[in-house]
Amino acid sequence: MKISRRDFLKGSATTLFLAGFNLPALAATSKKKNLVVIMLRGGMDGLCAVPVIGDKNFEKRRKNILIENTIKLNSDFALHPKLEAFNDCWKENTGSIIHATSIPYTQRSHFEGQNLMESGGRIAYQEKTGWIGRAMKLAKLQGDGLALSLPMPLLLRGIPKNNNYFPADGKLPQKDTLDLLRSVYAESSEDELLEMMDYIKKRKDEQMMGGTSNYGKRKNKNLAKQAAVYLRKANGPRVAVFEVNGFDTHAAQGGVDGTHTKCLVEMDEIIKNLKTNLKEAYKDTIILTVTEFGRTVKQNGGNGTEHGYGTAIFMAGGLIKKSQVHTDWPGLKKKELYQGRDLNATIDARSVYASAMSTVFDLDFKRIQKDVFWGEDLQNLSDKLFKT
Amino acid sequence: MKNFFRKVAFGLKPEEKAPSDPLMWAQKQVETIPELNWKGKYIYSEKEMRKHWIKQRVTEETTFKKKYKNDPEGLRIAEKKLEDDSGKKFWPNNEICMRHAEAVRSNSPVLAKLWYFWTNHFTISDAQNLPSFSTGAYQREFIRANMDKTFETMAIEGTIAWPMIMHLDNKDNIGPKSVSGKSEWRRRKKEPATINENHARELMELHTVSPKAGYTQEDVMGLACIMTGWKPKWTKKTDQGSDIRFMSDEHEPGKKYVFGKEYKKGKKSLKIAIKDLVNHPSCREFIATKLCTYLITDKPTKEMITPIIKAWEQSDGHLPEVHKAAIKVAFEYNDKYQKFQNPENWWLQTINMSGATYAYPIPEKKMDKFELGYLISQELREPDWLLESIGYHPYRSKQPNGYSDLSSDWMSTELIIRRLMYAKRAFHTYKIKDQIDDTIHEKIIRTNFDNPDKILKIVSKAKSNEEKHMILFNLPEVLRA
Repeated sequence: MKISRRDFLKGSATTLFLAGFNLPALAATSKKKNLVVIMLRGGMDGLCAVPVIGDKNFEKRRKNILIENTIKLNSDFALHPKLEAFNDCWKENTGSIIHATSIPYTQRSHFEGQNLMESGGRIAYQEKTGWIGRAMKLAKLQGDGLALSLPMPLLLRGIPKNNNYFPADGKLPQKDTLDLLRSVYAESSEDELLEMMDYIKKRKDEQMMGGTSNYGKRKNKNLAKQAAVYLRKANGPRVAVFEVNGFDTHAAQGGVDGTHTKCLVEMDEIIKNLKTNLKEAYKDTIILTVTEFGRTVKQNGGNGTEHGYGTAIFMAGGLIKKSQVHTDWPGLKKKELYQGRDLNATIDARSVYASAMSTVFDLDFKRIQKDVFWGEDLQNLSDKLFKT
Repeated sequence: MKNFFRKVAFGLKPEEKAPSDPLMWAQKQVETIPELNWKGKYIYSEKEMRKHWIKQRVTEETTFKKKYKNDPEGLRIAEKKLEDDSGKKFWPNNEICMRHAEAVRSNSPVLAKLWYFWTNHFTISDAQNLPSFSTGAYQREFIRANMDKTFETMAIEGTIAWPMIMHLDNKDNIGPKSVSGKSEWRRRKKEPATINENHARELMELHTVSPKAGYTQEDVMGLACIMTGWKPKWTKKTDQGSDIRFMSDEHEPGKKYVFGKEYKKGKKSLKIAIKDLVNHPSCREFIATKLCTYLITDKPTKEMITPIIKAWEQSDGHLPEVHKAAIKVAFEYNDKYQKFQNPENWWLQTINMSGATYAYPIPEKKMDKFELGYLISQELREPDWLLESIGYHPYRSKQPNGYSDLSSDWMSTELIIRRLMYAKRAFHTYKIKDQIDDTIHEKIIRTNFDNPDKILKIVSKAKSNEEKHMILFNLPEVLRA
């Protein structure tokens, strides 16, 4: 790869448009629009998922874990071959990638990094709310968030009445029991417990697991099917949050069948099942990924990679402007790397999140910038990345 | 006052008499480490457990890969059989029984609650089959057994124990300039030796000084270099399952620096480095804060933390003294702060206060019926399933930072559904005679609360004993302690 930084932005958009595929024009702003965030925990390796093409130096530094038979996206970037669903989105002009991006955090701790990728702040553990929670509050979207995990992720905190779904085993207690507990919580001003009890009262037994043989219901790919059913309802949630664990591959990251690939495939299956089951609502949706950092350019002796900095964001959905790799590519020469070891980040990932939320929540970018991200210096990428 | 028995332990059993001096009762329990309460026949050391891990690993990685290369159905059947032969599904259940017997059957439930704190501090997360074979034993042998020693001892032993070295990839941390790093075969096979910084980073961030100490990437690399060579020797027979040794031929030569201090090459430096980390002021502050968060409140104050730090300084990190100080602070703030209990502690309190400890954990005579090579019954697999379901499996945390100690992380619709379901479940662990005992809830409430009448009034609204159980164990007064 010979391209260098700065001359790259204009040439990065794909020219791949499939004949005969034409998404309908975006509906009026009053239409329900959805945001789905997939949190990739452990540090997703953007260079494994979306490798650069023809960079001999890169190939040399990753001899044992280089992904072969990649799918060419454009003249400069390729896609991991196992990301089949994302590739379909790309081909349909509803999948795009932001490369060489990160949250502004360079200390390489997972747990600080994950806290910041959810809070959107700069000092770990300082904020008790997430960037989506705050934006939902701004957009007055109370009760419109759904987490597909057992705990409530920080990302969604900041507005009351978010729900979660991670099916439990067995049958719910009878209505009388729930009513009695509800009244106790109400009398003792237990607002949070009260909020949850209201959701529990609406649960139906078919939403439970009904026996250990249904363990698969808790797998992300199946949660995605269920989430899509909720999201496509007119009065359903507008935000859904998934988590995929296991990207921290210090050892045995492996190549095309390795551990990192398995995690990427899990992400891909979420995208696939959302897309299929959202049906028409897919066109009014943005799916995007977040991670705490990327991984070192060079592999280590255990066929893994260490904690890094710059990475990639995957985006899919009908509200994506077009299939493209949007990047201000910093290059992979040693002097171009962050501290001589990591892909640099030239786009603040929060600019992408803020722009996506501006599109989905119909909020002015500047308001999000000011009220969600404390007026930090973010770039409005809405018209570059999304159908505004 | 009675809240204190739930704050530092798991409440009192229905007929149990409250100790007259609760503080002394609690502090006495952390002075020595008694034998495990569990008397089952399968109590193996971490090293003994590794034999089963090796069987699983070597058969999977070597034998099966060759034998069933083109036979996925054959592989599936063979894998199932291997699970029975290695006891993969049995061991974690057996270990959970040992763990939980300490909370609800032993004379030292306070020690048990603090043991759980430390096992989460030195988390072995869900990787490389460790939960199935080794994590429980690690928690007994390297954590619990060191709770009457200094934190330094626990940190050193916890660090160089086989499960932790495996879990955080130090087996792959090999000095590039070491004898092995420079060897011809590496060049020939194109397998260069490199530093793997995973374990060094977590040793600083999670186990000792925390990021508040302000270490840099260079400090992490310095410590990682000190840690090179601490690993199992690979053999065909054991894969990575042999004992951890210091392999000098894989150790990075030269001086290393952490926080500006110089460390010489060689075996001795790791223990010196851990000693220095443990004695860093950030370490005691970090752990004192964590202890207060676990026992008292999400937002510990300086006044809570200071006496624990002081006890640490005066005793050189002697854990019984640190624990006594933490218990005393919890006692002093007992009325003012009630902490939302994590799912595992809530479950154990539910069982203990109910007096259902004859049925949970699963009694030894049942667990002892298991035999290697046979399919494990559904009943014996219950503990594993239960902890996974309630969202707190102490061997299956997803990441090395373990589970959160913050109440806000235990609040969600699904997590509250679990509390309802498992309160009901706790009721059904009762024998029939207790299920039909209409006085049992009054006993539980009178024993465990200073204001029994208010709680009795609420619970009496329930129409059945089963419903009373669900209501009682989901009251705000019970969810918090």
